Amino acid sequence: MNRRAEIAHRCLLLANKEIARGWHLFELEAPLLAHAGPGQFVHLRTGSSTDPLLRRPVSIHYADPAAGRIRLLIRISGSGTALAARRKAGEELDLLGPFGRGFPFLDETAPALLVAGGIGMAPLFFAAVQRQRAGLPFEFFMGGQSDALLPPDEYFLAHGIAPLIVTEDGSRGGRGLVTALLEERLAGAVKPLRVHACGPAPMLARVAELARSAGVPVHLSLESRMACGVGACLGCVVHVNVDGKVEYRRVCRDGPIFDGEAVCFDN
Amino acid sequence: MITDPRLALDLAGVKMQNPLIAASGCYGFGFDYIQWVDPREWGAIALKGITLEPRAGNPPPRLAETPSGLLNAIGLQNPGIAFFLKEIRPLLRELGCPAIANIAGESVDHYRELAAILDGLGEVSAVEVNISCPNVRCGGISFGRDPATVEKLVGAVRQVYRGPLIVKLSLEAGDIGAVARAAESAGADVLSLINTLKGMVIDIHSRRPFLGNITGGLSGPAIRPVAVRAVWEAAEAVSIPLIGMGGIASAEDALQFILAGASAVAVGTANFVNPHIAREINLGLQRYLDDKGLRHYSELVGAARRETDGR
Repeated sequence: MNRRAEIAHRCLLLANKEIARGWHLFELEAPLLAHAGPGQFVHLRTGSSTDPLLRRPVSIHYADPAAGRIRLLIRISGSGTALAARRKAGEELDLLGPFGRGFPFLDETAPALLVAGGIGMAPLFFAAVQRQRAGLPFEFFMGGQSDALLPPDEYFLAHGIAPLIVTEDGSRGGRGLVTALLEERLAGAVKPLRVHACGPAPMLARVAELARSAGVPVHLSLESRMACGVGACLGCVVHVNVDGKVEYRRVCRDGPIFDGEAVCFDN
Repeated sequence: MITDPRLALDLAGVKMQNPLIAASGCYGFGFDYIQWVDPREWGAIALKGITLEPRAGNPPPRLAETPSGLLNAIGLQNPGIAFFLKEIRPLLRELGCPAIANIAGESVDHYRELAAILDGLGEVSAVEVNISCPNVRCGGISFGRDPATVEKLVGAVRQVYRGPLIVKLSLEAGDIGAVARAAESAGADVLSLINTLKGMVIDIHSRRPFLGNITGGLSGPAIRPVAVRAVWEAAEAVSIPLIGMGGIASAEDALQFILAGASAVAVGTANFVNPHIAREINLGLQRYLDDKGLRHYSELVGAARRETDGR
């Protein structure tokens, strides 16, 4: 009676490499997770004790079904991610997933503008690689605080991708915010176009505003503190406009990708 | 799914294959895990708390992680009893294990009305009366502190609900024994304890309370010893069966509650970390019974009390 999908996966960590300051790239043997798409996430147990108690949602950075492998990109931002970053190749990682709805319309022929802020590039890199392989047009805009806090160009070039990068301090690419790149690109742009974005909330709010005023559909990957990851606990909700009414929606189950038109950035 | 007669029980009329219950608020209406986990890994599932009217719940952030604990302030977000009857109830048999409806209200009349609606529904095996939620202003815990109020509320529900009646208690009642006795004498068939403990976390950078609701309810291993003590004290006060909960994450943890006097145990927070926790705890209970040469786990219920003459 095993018609149910596996939820829990013990995966061999093949490599843990720091590709930018505080950014750890995990390569994992995970055949049952390798069919996941861009925007979906796994729920990672960072240690083995009860502190930290909860798992951490980590978006899938790349998945290769043929090789049965996935990659995760973990930015150290607290005790849980710091613990995870210390895991070594050869260890087994405890993951749940894949969870969440990924980015929609990744197979459509209209150009996709992928807009990433910092570690928000993790799922968009995956989307970019997919579009690249499928021969579908895309442009990848990426913003970060400084050069040291972003992966090197070679990291992207190894996958045939060359994002347009800006930094807040101007240490790499132009100085400025990635939303300025988007604004420029959307000015008088030929449609149809579609925007996919992932990054900090203020950036996403601005992306949604720019896309709306340009009349371009936009999908945003949202973040929230999570407990269960499957929609049972109602802990990770955000305000979303549903048929003219503002309602709570679960980032883990209803998202993490939401129609940017509907997301309310009030909290 | 585990079928072992040594773990089966009849909890005041709720026929369970094993003594593990998914704690209310931690398992939705039973379907969030169903594509991955057989609900029959559980002996029963306590559904998300239902109110008369839909509730949007508290503003985020709703969760804060604490040392070996989880502070939550969901605020009883639920679609209301009408939606439950129309959309959820018809599906409940698909779970394959008993479903326990959990109800919360803002007045005795609310509780009575909810219980009356649920009376006689074949899909609902029992009703759990939540008088211990720390996250809602009007309802919940304000009913659970005072033995006289508890007696009145449980009595009102008892009048209209004929099935197995579970009353969920909090430790906010200073004297758990007095509240437990009040619920028992008003007609409760089972007591469940403990609900989360009210707590808070302050963000030192924003210099504001971290949770949108300011305070929340603490769960997880951090509260386990307190919960074991509460079960111990309630077992001393009443003779009806108890459902013990609070930080259970292993068979060893579950056994502590059983030995303190719990006939069944509920798991909440640990399920978020390990969705197969019920199966693992049941396997652990089986191993314990094997090791100790016991015929049924019920031989262990309250055994620690007998060892110490209840002291």
